[in-house]
Amino acid sequence: MIVFEQVIKKYNNQDKAAVDNLDLHIQKGEICMLVGPSGCGKTTTMKMINKLIKATSGKIYIDGMDIDQVDPINLRLDIGYVIQDTGLFPHMTIADNIATVPKEKGWSRNKIRNRVDELLELMDLDPEIYRDKKPKDLSGGQKQRVGVARALAADPPVMLMDEPFGALDPITRGKLQDEFLRIQEKIGKTIVFVTHDIDEALKMGDKIVVMRDGRVVQFGSPNEILSNPADEFVSELIGGNSNLKMMNLMKCKDIMRLIPNVDSRESSKAALKIANEHDVKNLLVTDHGQKLLGYVSYGSLASNDTVVSNLIKEIGETVTPKTTLQDVLSKMFSLGKKTVFVSGTKGTVEGIVTMDDLLKAVKDDEQISESDI
Amino acid sequence: MKIIEFALSRWESILKMTIDHFEIVLTAMLISILMGVAIGILITYNKTAAKVMLNIANIMMTIPSLALFSLLIPILGIGRAPAIAGLVLYTQLPIIRNVYTGILNIDPSIIEAARGMGLTRSKIMFRIKLPLAFPVIMAGVRTATVMGIGLGAIAAYIGAGGLGEYIFQGINRSNDKMILIGAVMVSLITIIIDRGLGFIQKKFEI
Repeated sequence: MIVFEQVIKKYNNQDKAAVDNLDLHIQKGEICMLVGPSGCGKTTTMKMINKLIKATSGKIYIDGMDIDQVDPINLRLDIGYVIQDTGLFPHMTIADNIATVPKEKGWSRNKIRNRVDELLELMDLDPEIYRDKKPKDLSGGQKQRVGVARALAADPPVMLMDEPFGALDPITRGKLQDEFLRIQEKIGKTIVFVTHDIDEALKMGDKIVVMRDGRVVQFGSPNEILSNPADEFVSELIGGNSNLKMMNLMKCKDIMRLIPNVDSRESSKAALKIANEHDVKNLLVTDHGQKLLGYVSYGSLASNDTVVSNLIKEIGETVTPKTTLQDVLSKMFSLGKKTVFVSGTKGTVEGIVTMDDLLKAVKDDEQISESDI
Repeated sequence: MKIIEFALSRWESILKMTIDHFEIVLTAMLISILMGVAIGILITYNKTAAKVMLNIANIMMTIPSLALFSLLIPILGIGRAPAIAGLVLYTQLPIIRNVYTGILNIDPSIIEAARGMGLTRSKIMFRIKLPLAFPVIMAGVRTATVMGIGLGAIAAYIGAGGLGEYIFQGINRSNDKMILIGAVMVSLITIIIDRGLGFIQKKFEI
């Protein structure tokens, strides 16, 4: 989708190139993270895509089209652009801010109004409340939501994001990252995302480009970068705790196990039998095979000879299939339990994750070190 | 209260001179604002030009107003024309300077976002930069206008008419009433116009 061919950028009075002979292929529908320390050329690389910075030599193609052949204004109208300080126009309402590019493209008033409301809803901002507000009335997180909405307004196939969540507090940042990933699942844009935060890169990226001194040090998926850093520089950038970081990349649905049901009127012996058959330590208890009542543990079944309904425990807090393993682990700590249930939509229970599962999941990805032993 | 009687008995000529004064200053300020805003906008695109223009405007202001008006007589003769030209030259600095700094002081991330989204240079100027710099520009226009109304009185020296003439006549005839009435009317116009401009400035503040 976006291709760099031997792109070089030299600034006027410097011998060293800011971007040095860059070759890069960014696939359609992927989030490609450019990560590295300040001055590594990541922002320059991004800004060459919409010609805010002109490459000294080399070619850049978007969808096979040489951007040198395209008028910069037309090029930019088809590329969403989000920056760290949001750059919202303070004298315009939120609706007018979002409508900027659609207006340039000559959309009808009606179409623009509908699109603005649709985007505000997508960003979890009530149009009735926020449409006519000015940017100064919004919190930092809300402003950046509007910034993203504005970039998405004319539905561009490509988005450039320059540390969009960098100026936010960690809690808001995490929330916006999650929201953005959720939205990206629906819209499937090709995104070039600049950050200096490797954790953000690992979390958000389908691909990561690690850059230093204008060159690409490593290009790969977050998993590849974590499990196989190209050199010292990359492993230093990742820092310690690569196992924990790996857990951040995996989701509950990858490792959760299904658990069988037992009717609440069954005896504990019958329930034990089911548990043994499936080799599990917990069973879900249902009412007439339908309504979920709770769960019973292997221990209580073995030590009490009664009907299952007397042994039901409440399921309590659950995680979702999309929760990262790291969050599952912290959930276990906060609940003080070695198991946690995974709930689907509408209160159903889809499976279970235990501490052992977590350990196994991380170990599976550590085959190299295991074979070393 | 002899002075009020005096003013009432001559209200027709006072009103005519006030209107004259108003006309001269208004014409000058309209030209000055158009010119100053245009120059101010253009020099934001070129640092060297900005330095040169701001220096020229600065020098204009250091020339004593009386001398400036007199210097224009050989070129434009006497009467309204040189008076208006003098006022325009004299009031350029606050306008040019405020347009220039008002535009350059806009948060660069706003301009970058506008560029990145695909707005053309002129659209960025007219839809983003000028509206955002408007309060600062208006502050410059206010300063310039207040200066212009005061200076307008001196323009009577080169035969432009207006309230200045009334004051000069008062001086020649040693008539303090005339001087005082002229001065009060000039102040009155100044206050009214400054308030009016201030109201506009407030209304567009963000």
